[in-house]
Amino acid sequence: MLRVTDLTKTFGGLKALGGVSLHIPEKRVLGLLGMNGSGKTTLLNCINGLYEPSSGDIQLQGTSLLGLPTHKIAARGVGRTFQVPKLFPRMTLLENLAAPFTTGDASDAEVYERSAEWLNRVELYRLRHNYAEELSGGQQKLVELARMMVAQPKLVLLDEPFAGVNPSLALLIIRLIEAMPERDGCSVLLVSHDLTSVYQLSHNIVVLHEGRVLAEGGAAEIRSNPDVIEAYLGA
Amino acid sequence: MASSLGGVAAPAEGRSGDARVGRIRISLWIVVALGVVLPLLAAPALTENLSFSFYLMLWIILCTSFNLVAGFTGYMPFGYVAFYGVGAYATGVLHKTYGLPMPGALVCAALAGAAVSLLLAPTLRLKGVYFGIVSLALAVIFRLVVSMLPEDITGGSMGLILARANDPQTTYYVTVAVLAACLAAAGWLAFSRTGVALRAVRDDADAAAIVGIDVTRTRLKAWVLAATFPAVVGGLEAWYTNAIDPEASFNILVTAKVIVYSMAGGLGTLLGPVLGAGALYGIDHLIWQKFPVLNLMFLGIIIMVMILVFPRGLVGSFAQRFPLLRRYIP
Amino acid sequence: MTADLLLQGLINGLILGLIYSLIGLSLNIIFGVLRVVNFAHGEFIILGAYAAYFLQRLLGLSPFLAMPVIFVMFALIGWALYFVLVKRLARSDDPETASLLVMFGLSITLGALMLFFFEADARSLDYMLEPPFLMFGNIVIPTTRLVALAITLVITGITAWFLYRTFPGKALRAVIMNRSAVATVGIDVEKLSAMTFGIGLGFAGVTGVLLAMIFPAFSPFAGADYTLIGFIIIVLGGLGHPIGALVGGLLFGVTEQVTVVLADNSVALLVGFALMIAVIFFRPSGLFGRQQLR
Repeated sequence: MLRVTDLTKTFGGLKALGGVSLHIPEKRVLGLLGMNGSGKTTLLNCINGLYEPSSGDIQLQGTSLLGLPTHKIAARGVGRTFQVPKLFPRMTLLENLAAPFTTGDASDAEVYERSAEWLNRVELYRLRHNYAEELSGGQQKLVELARMMVAQPKLVLLDEPFAGVNPSLALLIIRLIEAMPERDGCSVLLVSHDLTSVYQLSHNIVVLHEGRVLAEGGAAEIRSNPDVIEAYLGA
Repeated sequence: MASSLGGVAAPAEGRSGDARVGRIRISLWIVVALGVVLPLLAAPALTENLSFSFYLMLWIILCTSFNLVAGFTGYMPFGYVAFYGVGAYATGVLHKTYGLPMPGALVCAALAGAAVSLLLAPTLRLKGVYFGIVSLALAVIFRLVVSMLPEDITGGSMGLILARANDPQTTYYVTVAVLAACLAAAGWLAFSRTGVALRAVRDDADAAAIVGIDVTRTRLKAWVLAATFPAVVGGLEAWYTNAIDPEASFNILVTAKVIVYSMAGGLGTLLGPVLGAGALYGIDHLIWQKFPVLNLMFLGIIIMVMILVFPRGLVGSFAQRFPLLRRYIP
Repeated sequence: MTADLLLQGLINGLILGLIYSLIGLSLNIIFGVLRVVNFAHGEFIILGAYAAYFLQRLLGLSPFLAMPVIFVMFALIGWALYFVLVKRLARSDDPETASLLVMFGLSITLGALMLFFFEADARSLDYMLEPPFLMFGNIVIPTTRLVALAITLVITGITAWFLYRTFPGKALRAVIMNRSAVATVGIDVEKLSAMTFGIGLGFAGVTGVLLAMIFPAFSPFAGADYTLIGFIIIVLGGLGHPIGALVGGLLFGVTEQVTVVLADNSVALLVGFALMIAVIFFRPSGLFGRQQLR
């Protein structure tokens, strides 16, 4: 589904990504671990076109995404959430979820049905006429997730989906992510600090350290990898 | 409430209720628009003095189109008057200097407004304060350039007199038609998907791009539409008063009044600018007749009080006060 | 002969540019610390000129002695205005645009008040220096301009000393660089902000006296022009950057005066604007600033 090859990104003299390669197969969850400043968010920003990579390639289903503007990458089926949710604060939840359809040709009824369905799945249907700014931080994360999923993406990039969310909402988010590959048919790139949920949700895990891939493999391998232990506990 | 992974369709009563909300909002706007246009259409039959109604229409058009860019896309063009001035001059010069009939001159004014807005489109890359400053500077540049053009074309700093065109009655009815078109266009923009896209871009341009909205093109649509109407209005005013000059056509007070009227009503809603223009132009008109200089001072004070005390305007404050009614306000 | 004229333009430009840079300096200190774009700056400058005029008319105070008086007067007004207007802005949805609008309102109000009280006629300060002109070869420089230049240099020097050598000055620069960090180290940001607005308006007042000395006349309408010149200068030098204003002022002054030699006044303003717009598009942080578009 997504193949990133030898990607680098420098800001001025600072190397944020120093040659990262990774691959997400269809309907699989790839967990991305790393400390603050290891380049996780930079990688996501490169994939959906917010940053222009300095070198390397990003391919979605075999075609390169390089040079495409963010909205075209979104139209190819790449969804994204942010660590601090980026909603449209002075629009209602229904309008927030209608925003992805402003360019497509879905009928009004269809847009409403799909928005309502996703608002139901994140258990916020009753707040559909509220402005996004009136919701709590955790609820905003759910709305952002719904706004992303309502467009039926092929690949979603989740940036710290559990950060600042209370345990019961976090449980709901875990269940939603769990369902993404099979039920919603999309691949997931999951960035998180929360080791437990990354181990639980991911089919495969990549650990970034100072802009490079430090380790790669299944949960058990990563857990026992000496380099990872060193980087996480030693530094 | 359905569980998160179980039955997920919207409850039927919610669905039909929500569809009704949309219909009510559109109907309300149609009622408001007719309520504004019809009395103004009848005004010539009722009163001799058309000047007040003419300028009322002028301000409603200016504020409604200003709202498309300031309320729906979040830019604050301090040089908004440039479009008005360009329209006035396009009309005046084409009619007086090149002998084009008035209707043709007005159409050209609209095209000139759209063309200028495309020319200035790169300024939309700027944010916040920079956009405001550049926009203001551009309005001054336009005034300087117009007053420096050859005198046999634009009349230089003295301007032009269009005495031949004098026909207030016709001007009035054309203005009513432009008003109706403006209210319809604003309604179309607000209720269409472009309207949702615009407000998304206003609230968070990055997030809008993430969900697939072409930010640049969306802004451009509103920008061109918001520039075309003031250009026509500039032309109409030139036709009505039969005179143009650089100072009057590019007067920054036009921008000031547009900002005050629309903010007082409430930017970001269709109703706000119409209400604001109607109420404040009325007050302005009364004060202006008695104390022309103090009027300016009041204008300035109202801007300050507005922003500091209730920045969301009449309609915005109402919506904040009664959140349940908010969804019905056009 | 043309070479002489150009040289004359260049020298005029440097002198005027340095005086103009005072406008930019005070605008930038205010923007840097408060994130407020003072749209009403030009009106305060003209008010400064009127203050000098009336101090001279009513109390017989010479413009030179009036300057410190006006500085203190305007600083107090600025201090008070901070609490009435500026402080409330922090609460709004988009403080920078809101500040632009509020100051726009203030500029209209002040313009109208001046028109009401002082009427539309142009006034001028009544004083003479002997000799009125100094000749350097073929270059003629009015004595008042040299005196104004000297005063500007003194003011700039004092400002630099204040910003780089005194505690409140250093605190002020610290706020420009990182507002939230400063509050945590125990500097009273509010007091500092009020002081900044005061100093900014004090400068505007003094600049008004200087401009009234070197240009023959002033009227309530000239405020907007000075505001625009100030905007051009701070955009050229970098928004919120005190030293940048100096460079921006010189650049604008030279451009303006050299264009005046080659064409005329309105073209000069056009060229100034063109310069500003070019800088915004090609180097949005200004020639010296680090701050980005927002």
